[in-house]
Amino acid sequence: MSGTVIEVRNVSKRYEGAHGTVNALEDVSLDIREGEFLSLVGPSGCGKTTLLRIIDGITPPSRGDVFLDGRRLEGVSREMAFVFQDINLLPWRSVVENVEIGLLARGVGREERRRQALETLELVGLRPVAEAPPYTLSGGMQQRVGVARALAIKPKVLLMDEPFGHLDNFTREILQIEIAKLWRRLGMTVVFVTHDVDEAIFLSDRIALMQTTPGRLTEVLEVGLPHPRWEFNVLADPRAIALRESIIERLHVRQGVMV
Amino acid sequence: MSETSAELWTASASGRRPRVMGWRSEALRLVSLVVAVAAWQASGLVLNKILISTPAIIAADFVQIVASGALPNAFLQSAFEMGLGFSIAASIGVTLGVLMGRIKIFERTLDPFVNFFNATPTIALLPLMEIWFGIGFWARISFIVVISLWTMLINTLSGVRNVSRQYADVGAAFGLSPVQATWRIFLPAAVPYILAGARLALAQAGVGMILSGQEIGEAGLGGLTEDYGSYFLTGHLIAAIMSSTALVMTTFWALRRTQARFFPWIAATSAGRR
Repeated sequence: MSGTVIEVRNVSKRYEGAHGTVNALEDVSLDIREGEFLSLVGPSGCGKTTLLRIIDGITPPSRGDVFLDGRRLEGVSREMAFVFQDINLLPWRSVVENVEIGLLARGVGREERRRQALETLELVGLRPVAEAPPYTLSGGMQQRVGVARALAIKPKVLLMDEPFGHLDNFTREILQIEIAKLWRRLGMTVVFVTHDVDEAIFLSDRIALMQTTPGRLTEVLEVGLPHPRWEFNVLADPRAIALRESIIERLHVRQGVMV
Repeated sequence: MSETSAELWTASASGRRPRVMGWRSEALRLVSLVVAVAAWQASGLVLNKILISTPAIIAADFVQIVASGALPNAFLQSAFEMGLGFSIAASIGVTLGVLMGRIKIFERTLDPFVNFFNATPTIALLPLMEIWFGIGFWARISFIVVISLWTMLINTLSGVRNVSRQYADVGAAFGLSPVQATWRIFLPAAVPYILAGARLALAQAGVGMILSGQEIGEAGLGGLTEDYGSYFLTGHLIAAIMSSTALVMTTFWALRRTQARFFPWIAATSAGRR
């Protein structure tokens, strides 16, 4: 792993609501290394999704800056792609047209767009359903399309917001392995939001822990387990068990502080 | 009946209505219709036929005005005027609705006018249409336009404004330009609202078609109803009224076909499947 690809500097996010000000994020700073798999883990309301959206530029921060390769980001970055928890495929477009959308925004011509989109669908094993309407696919397949849509623009950084949150356990485990393989194969940086500690340990190089009220980043832990992890039962490894324990401890799950 | 609960389950899961009551409810409908027509016919024995006529008289009158060409001519003229008026209203309404929904300046500047005209009882505009366009075709068309335009516009505007955040996020995250996002996301996402508006606007255009036909130069089906009514030809009148109903219902049917053919995703992704 080489240098830093993303720097998050003193980022805060406030929402002025009818019931006063909500500090969704308070003074978060974080360096994301090139090519690493970093997970943001914390209870709901800790601002992990907000942080991810701020990194992408969909949500502007109230204060602070995000730098990509040393350049301060304004608006949505063209070098990052987002995978949504709600999947958000456009039902009025076919699967392949959904995958094309980022290429369309980048001014890629019609035929080239189709070619690259089909290539990316191949990558997630969905080439055969390219022409199908997305709502005819299972949840797991839909999220594969969501991943393909993001990968189609060949992003430097892939941002994933609880991408498997709506899927059943079985599908979830399959997709975890697939995403680990894609990451190894394509070598992009991944920032991954989850509240599932095991998922974070299975996938990540580092895990950033977050806490609620106000939403803040408390600690960044190295996972330190060898890759690839789908070839052995990584969660049974004593180091993984110890890590899991310490994360649970730090998030105060046992004391019931977490709401 | 013979269906097991497992079959019912797959039927509803695949989007079809479980057909337990199928033939019974169809039969019930038919019976209620037959009883109503028979009762109407029987009432002719007691009541003055000029008031409500009878189904037999209406059928005979219908055949007569079809044969004479009066009804087919009026029907075609009205269908054309309603179709043209509604198409103009839909084009203007959707265009302005999208512009107002997506561009602040349009919303700010046009909103007071939309409110003003939507609150104006359209029938009050009828004489104005006559003054502007003369007593003829274009006055009728413009009346049909103004009676159905605001529903199209307001529904399109609501549709564009209520696009769910998850779709808007896709445009934002993948960096679509405002124009691309409008065409690729906001307009298609607003289609269910636009079609719902079209259903209402078609009914309004139907009112506009009859009213303008009655008031502006006695044309089409409106002209026929005006004519027959003034001579107390109740059977002819009801035949013309029912033809108007049939015309408007045909447009509803065409709208449903349009939705099923071109926007299958609406039914497929909505909770209330039919």
